[in-house]
Amino acid sequence: MSNGSTDGAGRYEIRVKGHLDARWAAWFDGMSLTRESDGTTNVHGPVVDQAALHGLLQKLRDTGLPLMSVTQVEADQPADRPIDPRQLF
Amino acid sequence: MAGPLLETKFHIPRRRRGLVARPRLSERLDLGEESALTLVSAPAGFGKSTLLTDWLTGWQAAAPAGERSVAWLSLDQRDNDPALFWTYVATALDSAVAGVGAGALTLLQASQPPAETVVATLLHDLGAVPTDVLLVLDDFHVIESRDVREGVTFLLDHLPPRTRLVLAGRADPALPLARLRGRGELVEIRAADLRFTPDEAAAYLNEVMGLELTARDVAALEERTEGWIAALQLAALSMQGRDDAAGFIAGFAGDDRYVVDYLAEEVLQRQPERVRSFLLQTSFLNRLTGSLCDAVTGQDDGRAMLEALDRGNLFLVPLDDRRRWYRYHHLFADVLQARLLDEQPDEVRDLHRRASAWYEQDGERAEAIHHALAAEDFERAADLVELALPALRKGRQEATLRRWLEALPDELFHVRPVLTVGHVSSLMVSGEIEGVEERLRQAERWLHPTTDRADEMVVVDEEGFRTLPTAIAMYRAGTALVRGDVAGTMTHARRALDLAGEDDHLARGAPAALLGLAYWTSGDLGASSRLYADAMSSLERAGHHSDVLGCAIALADMRLAQGRLRDAMGLFERGLQRAEQSRPVLRGAADMHVGLSQLLWERDDLDAARRHLQASSELGEHLGLPQNRYRWRVAMARVREADGDVDGALDLLDEAERLYVGDYSPDVRPVAAVRARAWLRQGRWGEALRWARERGLSSDDELSYLREFEHVTLARALVARYAAERSERSIEEATGLLERLIRAAEDGARTGSRIDVLVVQARAAQARGDVPAALSSLRRALSLAEPEGYVRTFVDEGQPMASLLRALAKDGNGGGYVRRLLAAFDGTEVSRPVSERLVDPLSARELDVLRLLGTDLDGPDIARELVVSLNTVRTHTKNIYAKLGVSSRRAAVRRAEELGLMSRPRARQPLR
Repeated sequence: MSNGSTDGAGRYEIRVKGHLDARWAAWFDGMSLTRESDGTTNVHGPVVDQAALHGLLQKLRDTGLPLMSVTQVEADQPADRPIDPRQLF
Repeated sequence: MAGPLLETKFHIPRRRRGLVARPRLSERLDLGEESALTLVSAPAGFGKSTLLTDWLTGWQAAAPAGERSVAWLSLDQRDNDPALFWTYVATALDSAVAGVGAGALTLLQASQPPAETVVATLLHDLGAVPTDVLLVLDDFHVIESRDVREGVTFLLDHLPPRTRLVLAGRADPALPLARLRGRGELVEIRAADLRFTPDEAAAYLNEVMGLELTARDVAALEERTEGWIAALQLAALSMQGRDDAAGFIAGFAGDDRYVVDYLAEEVLQRQPERVRSFLLQTSFLNRLTGSLCDAVTGQDDGRAMLEALDRGNLFLVPLDDRRRWYRYHHLFADVLQARLLDEQPDEVRDLHRRASAWYEQDGERAEAIHHALAAEDFERAADLVELALPALRKGRQEATLRRWLEALPDELFHVRPVLTVGHVSSLMVSGEIEGVEERLRQAERWLHPTTDRADEMVVVDEEGFRTLPTAIAMYRAGTALVRGDVAGTMTHARRALDLAGEDDHLARGAPAALLGLAYWTSGDLGASSRLYADAMSSLERAGHHSDVLGCAIALADMRLAQGRLRDAMGLFERGLQRAEQSRPVLRGAADMHVGLSQLLWERDDLDAARRHLQASSELGEHLGLPQNRYRWRVAMARVREADGDVDGALDLLDEAERLYVGDYSPDVRPVAAVRARAWLRQGRWGEALRWARERGLSSDDELSYLREFEHVTLARALVARYAAERSERSIEEATGLLERLIRAAEDGARTGSRIDVLVVQARAAQARGDVPAALSSLRRALSLAEPEGYVRTFVDEGQPMASLLRALAKDGNGGGYVRRLLAAFDGTEVSRPVSERLVDPLSARELDVLRLLGTDLDGPDIARELVVSLNTVRTHTKNIYAKLGVSSRRAAVRRAEELGLMSRPRARQPLR
């Protein structure tokens, strides 16, 4: 959570079960939608604060798609890129 | 209200044609009979509302007509405003069971009651209903407001046995569910329960929708949709009229896409272009009606279109029985809106703008503002909010007002003085004065515009602009008062009064009361009472009756200090009459009873005093102002004390102190000082002096009216100490303080205070042995008190006062009043604490010694026990003998036993 501010601003990855059409992107405040091979959709992008995050989660809730995870990620560093352990020291 | 209440929100959704019977769920709902809360919690499209409406029909039909009532309310985002939420709930209940809710609605319109009071009123009404009542709050997940949730929790915690609450929504409400579960007060229906079982899916697809699918196809659909009803509905719609159902199912089952995307696509593709574009363009409307759709789409077939969609079962939910208003099923609306945003992002604002214009035409300002804000047409939104201000303020919808104002860009306020002052009002309501002055100045600049301004003022509410100077001055007076700036309050309130038109009653009421308050605080009761009387008549004419009652209490307090008991009595009597004649009874009625009780007590009519306190509690807390809870206890403490229950009286005063809540009125008779006086009547001057020390009171303080009651109490304690210990310093301090107090009371024309001080002066002189001086003070007190019929002020002084009065009577200058007072003493002899039958009561320390005299301990033992010197014990013993009129230890103990002094609980006589 090194990138997280107290307001919770930052990039988030939200995973839901099922493949959401790309046309939903505008509805989800311009977040990007990536359909994964395991049948899930990764909704990711910048979120200005906690209130915005909760608003987004509510919109996702209203689709009825099961929520699988919510993760805050480093800016400009998608979570799926492996972290070089040497960078930690 | 910013616009009328929406009738459609109370409409129980019509039963859909052809339903799948779900006895397993209905039975579970029936179980709720014993539980306060039934929770139906599942995502959109799980058939929550359908299940409830279906079950409700059966539930109501299962009992004789009129035995079971249902109040239904569909919530939306705006109901996060507590005032609006409870208005809707009360209206829903009122239309289900006539009469329930009427009281709450009056409260909500008349003043700004705390939610708890509104809920208590509803509960009171519900408790009196002899039938079963079910309150359904649908879409409860939209409620985010903590205030609303707390109110609902309070409601739940106090629901009468025959009332049940049903909450339906997409998320569990943030209420204490675990506690309810633990008490067995919760019945839950969740997503897992609501999913169609394979049998239910088969019944739906084949029987209701007539699809004639094979068992394998049904199983495949059921598995793919996981029993999600909305998805099954979409699937059924996609298959209607299709030859190759099996092929469709195979394609659907083998796809990973979000089922709703997949199926909505299917459904939409099968619609003609006209229908498709209608669906998209109207998807953002919370409610749909023909002409509104026409305004938004620019077509003229709205009504026909809606009817066709309804017939085709295209996710339209009727909102009334006349097929005038509909809404889309939430899930479907989301899908359509996502498409609209994706396909025609530039259109969206225009659509909102057109919807806003239609609603404005239709008189629904709240909806018009909602759409104007969504269209980001802030100028329009600001115009509309400005016009809605008076209604919002009257309806106390401060939360709504704030939400709208905060959605508007800052720079917009710079040229809109009426809107800016509206913003100030929303801040002041919550006691925020930060930034208020800056805003007032910003608005004020437009009252004297200079020619070199580049920008131009915007005012849509001309009337609001006309009264702007008054409003600005009044809010300045308000902020000054919050800051404790009396002079500032006076200056600005006076200016507001000067500016307000003679006939502008509403505009005059508040500043008159504020100015009166400032005078009251500074001790000028003549000016303050005149202003309060003015404020009351203005508020009366403006129809703000509840506020009139609040002013009556304050004015009666001033009358008490002025020694005008009869005027005070008249205020309470008229207030009570007004409150009780209103339907429903006005809040504040309970306070009128308490006020009357205190006055009747002073006149020694204890039975009547008791009856009024009883009447006050019978009315219920919801008919009392917040201050009534402590005022009632203070009044009741006197009654208890008269009954001889001193401990009970002191307990009540402790409670009163805990329950004390201030309003803007000065706290002229603090509960702690009232308690100190009760101690003094019990001879516990040590505790009274300790209180005075802790309050920082001293005999050479500069005097102010606000501390007058406390200073007179201090003087009493000093006199009591002198009587017990003959400490010269005490009596000197008391005498000096009393002289200054009497002058201050005379200067302020506070006759009530003068009587209070003169009585203590008489006691002080008596204690010094100067009987002529004592009688002189007493005569002056009597001449002031007689016309108003004071009794307890004298009788509460006990035997020393009785002997002074007897001395007056013997001199032949007593008259009927003195005889009446002496007769009142006779009435108290039996009920008063026995220790006060002594001319000079024993001090707490003397009582300690006296009780040890009743034991086998000798002098040195007693000294050790009390950790004092033997000499001190001897002094105490001598005083005890003198006061009891005895000359031996045994006689002292016998006399003390006769007087009941030996059995007094020690707990109330702490060692000093």
